Amino acid sequence: MPEDYETIESDVLVIGAGGAGLRAAVAVNDSGQKVIVVSKSLLGKAHTVMAEGGMAASLGNVDPKDNWTVHYGDIIEEGVYISSWKMAEILAKEAPSRVLELESYGALFDRTPDGRIMQRAFGAHTYRRLAHLGDRTGLEIIKTMEHQVIHRDIAFYDEMYITNLIKEGDRIVGAIGIKMNTGKIFLFKAKAFVIATGGSGRVYKITSNSWESTGDGIGMAYRAGVKLRDMEMIQFHPTGMVYPPGVRGLLVTEGVRGEGGILLNTKGERYMLRYSPEKKELDARDVVARANYREILEGRGTEHGGVYLDITHKGPDFIKHKLPAMYQQFMEFAGVDITKEKMEVAPTVHYMMGGIEVEPQTERSNVENLFAAGEVASGLHGANRLGGNSLSDILVFGKIAGENAAEFAKKSEFGKITPAKVKNEIQYINSFFREDGKNPYDLIDRLTSCMSENVGIVRDAEHLKKALEIISELKKEFSGVGTKGLIKYNHGLLGCLELSNMLVSCEAITTCALMREESRGAHTRSDFPKKDKNWIRNIITVLGEDGKMKFEVKPVDEMPGEYKNYVKPEVY
Amino acid sequence: MAFSAKEENDSKLQKITRFPRELGELRFWSFVLVTVLAIYLMYIFALTSPVQGLTDPFYSPTILVLPLVAGFRATCYAYRKDYHRHLFRHPIGCSVENFNKEGDVNFPGEKVGRSYSGETGIFRLENLHRYFWYAAVIILPFFYYDLYLAMAYNGEFTLGVLLLILNTTWVTLYTFSCHFFRHAAGGNVDCYSCPVNKKSYRRTIFNRISKLNSHHEMFAWISLASFFLVDLYIRGVAAGLPINILLFRL
Amino acid sequence: MADKEIDLKIMRQDPETEKVPRAENHKVPYVDGMVVLDAVRYVQEHTDPTLAIRWNCKAAKCGSCSAEINGMPKLMCKTRVDTIGDKITVAPMAAFPLIKDLVTDVSKNWEITRKIPMFTPKENMEVPWRINPKDVERSKEFKKCIECGLCMDVCHVVREHYTPYFGPMHIVKAASWDMHPLDSIDRSKYLNKEGGLGYCNITKCCTEVCPEHIHITDNAIIPEKERAVDRQYDPIAMLIKGIRKKEKVMK
Repeated sequence: MPEDYETIESDVLVIGAGGAGLRAAVAVNDSGQKVIVVSKSLLGKAHTVMAEGGMAASLGNVDPKDNWTVHYGDIIEEGVYISSWKMAEILAKEAPSRVLELESYGALFDRTPDGRIMQRAFGAHTYRRLAHLGDRTGLEIIKTMEHQVIHRDIAFYDEMYITNLIKEGDRIVGAIGIKMNTGKIFLFKAKAFVIATGGSGRVYKITSNSWESTGDGIGMAYRAGVKLRDMEMIQFHPTGMVYPPGVRGLLVTEGVRGEGGILLNTKGERYMLRYSPEKKELDARDVVARANYREILEGRGTEHGGVYLDITHKGPDFIKHKLPAMYQQFMEFAGVDITKEKMEVAPTVHYMMGGIEVEPQTERSNVENLFAAGEVASGLHGANRLGGNSLSDILVFGKIAGENAAEFAKKSEFGKITPAKVKNEIQYINSFFREDGKNPYDLIDRLTSCMSENVGIVRDAEHLKKALEIISELKKEFSGVGTKGLIKYNHGLLGCLELSNMLVSCEAITTCALMREESRGAHTRSDFPKKDKNWIRNIITVLGEDGKMKFEVKPVDEMPGEYKNYVKPEVY
Repeated sequence: MAFSAKEENDSKLQKITRFPRELGELRFWSFVLVTVLAIYLMYIFALTSPVQGLTDPFYSPTILVLPLVAGFRATCYAYRKDYHRHLFRHPIGCSVENFNKEGDVNFPGEKVGRSYSGETGIFRLENLHRYFWYAAVIILPFFYYDLYLAMAYNGEFTLGVLLLILNTTWVTLYTFSCHFFRHAAGGNVDCYSCPVNKKSYRRTIFNRISKLNSHHEMFAWISLASFFLVDLYIRGVAAGLPINILLFRL
Repeated sequence: MADKEIDLKIMRQDPETEKVPRAENHKVPYVDGMVVLDAVRYVQEHTDPTLAIRWNCKAAKCGSCSAEINGMPKLMCKTRVDTIGDKITVAPMAAFPLIKDLVTDVSKNWEITRKIPMFTPKENMEVPWRINPKDVERSKEFKKCIECGLCMDVCHVVREHYTPYFGPMHIVKAASWDMHPLDSIDRSKYLNKEGGLGYCNITKCCTEVCPEHIHITDNAIIPEKERAVDRQYDPIAMLIKGIRKKEKVMK
């Protein structure tokens, strides 16, 4: 087993190569500092590719009435008043310029007849706002950023799994990583760090998230004493594929509903007219997801446990032109021709609103040289995320995080690293290699099943407590996991390391969900079905000095008077 | 459960033939057959004068254009695909095996390639395709002229005339679905409407040709087959067979 | 269907310790609608966690899980077991150096990408740019590329020979910039001279395997070849181009 390691220095280390990480790296590069990007998967394969619908920005090309204040209002209302108002403002103001910047980098967008960027309607957006390229917007964004990184000669280490951050005093000084394709261990020294590792949707069994989203960034940050926020807020996407079982949870883009798709139960009733007479299928994701859940629960679902999504009335040409990837996805995975047949859909885990708590203007966490951006950060989306805001989020805040990390790096020096700490970490990695180790995948399977069953779309105290018991049981069992073979490309080892991070996310999600005794946004408690005025608060999770998870509740930052005019007052 | 029996490691077993090789062989020989047949027909049986008003498509307008027509087809992307695949066997089907000089399978990743220059070297001549296309466009009216002659011969619409019409149609479709024509007519333009409200006829032309072009390979083979068919037919007529049936009077 | 099993043969090798690949046989329970990746992951999670595979989105969107399934380059996550029968052989892509088992080293793709001049907008354009919606279509087709490398794997030029040819995936990328309505440079001559475009003999295997159904040969490679002819071989076209306008052409 390896004992030695290679040391690599840079001004800024960006962990994660999705849209946020790459945008941060470009920002650091623009400021003239040396930056290294590391990622768990190959460059350009990050979860960003899965984003389909588009990127929300109030360009006002289709609906000229749209402007940043409307977008701002939509964010706060959708986040059910626990978002950070400052982040919402920054996003609403900056998103249009990020779209135009992408275009100048070579990204293509669909156009309006007069040649401007086309914008499509999306759930809970007041106006048509999503800049898109067919239903492959995420792919376009990540490829564009990938080519920027490659052509700028930014150093990147892909298939590099960062196991832990090394902290000296109150600063992060280094990160330990395993280069999976060689099995070598690396120590990255840097002056500032940007975490952009995405969410932890993989802690659920039925999820639209890709393999990577195991919450590694959240785990490593938590262990370094970084504060996490709103961890109970998990967004369920109303429409995930149901059948066949192999693709259960796979996303069916909201674009289908945006382009006119309707939801039907087995009785043929368009039930969204009942749940949301005004916005119908295009209401907020939590509303539609709960409606779908309800219909299935009350026995009006299909035999595979789903409801129908129907777009056949739009005609084959329209569907193939506007939703080519969806057409292909159903044709190839399910053998369903969506131009002729209805799709079967059910809610699936989609996004984590919670994550590392950051300062709105700088994206700095409570550790002075650690920055976070993208899904791993929290604050912007509050209790629920608007569709299309994730792509704006990664670029807007990726850039800000990169700029501020570079700024910080300019003014500071490398920290000293105690060799013993590195040695300990390597020993920790090696400790998983043992003949009698339990298969980590068995534990992961139990953990994800537990989360899907007990911490799902509708929660209650009983199930949450049961989940906590299972989690603490698994935490004990975790000490027994292990793998065989060599370190190089060893998925068993990865499973062990990921499991430790997933346990952190699960514990935080479940405990926060238990603490929040109300229903707000994506968080629904059947034992507390109403929204509660006293819960306009955020729950902060942090590692206590005794090594146990600590929680604190704090009020949401109050927005200045004039901003209140942009938002409808909250109704109880 | 996993097992790795000793014979599994035997290198011969590793060389699984993943592609039905026989199919490749068959298509290769059919290609040779067609080529030989073509030369045979072209040069052994000369037929220069119209029979009952029907002009053999090979000799339209004279034997002099034959090399041009042959050149047009030899440098055509559709035929290039076929002769590279089946005649030179680069590659042998779309199989993902490596082949060495003897045509045996190598281990993955091992490059014991046969020598290969693709469309470089002598095959740079294929870039002359567009000049052959110009020639083909000049020749094409003669096909129509021949058609006119056949119809005007004694005002009868015969089976021979019908075959000539079909043949001319295929040749026309083949000529105007050419990749070069697609490129020249609009493919070389990136922005059809710059500024944005400019009306562009070239985009329309390009899109239409693109549709034709997606059937280029089909047109290539059908028109070639039709050539031979009509040729045989006219030879039959010349030999005195009563096959030029009258369909109706014009 | 519940107790149906499939025979899965996985080619395994760690080139550092083993000289030749070995075929490992596994029995995997069949589940309705299962794809090859499900079967391979079943082995990884239940039998042997050291089996190296590369996968990510499992939705045919990221292009990580490319492999040769029964001799054809395919995405594991997109190949349904019921379309290929219950005897399945999975081997790594042979056009790329092997790392371990089904994982190959695709880093040469980044090196090639770096060589291709990227999108360079025309100068002095009014912001925001205006593009006719119909003009987006050509480049948009290539933007579907998920960089899975299947076309590279099936391409006999990349696979069997040592040539300067960049490979179909990169020609598609170059074409996506070349055919961008607002791009100002022409890469065809560069592709022909440095990128070995002439080594492609348009046998269309890449088009056959593309999981995104991009018409790689007809819409990317042949147009680039024709453009290269315009700029390199055709005296008349060169003359006309020379007279008409000065255009930025890569060396």
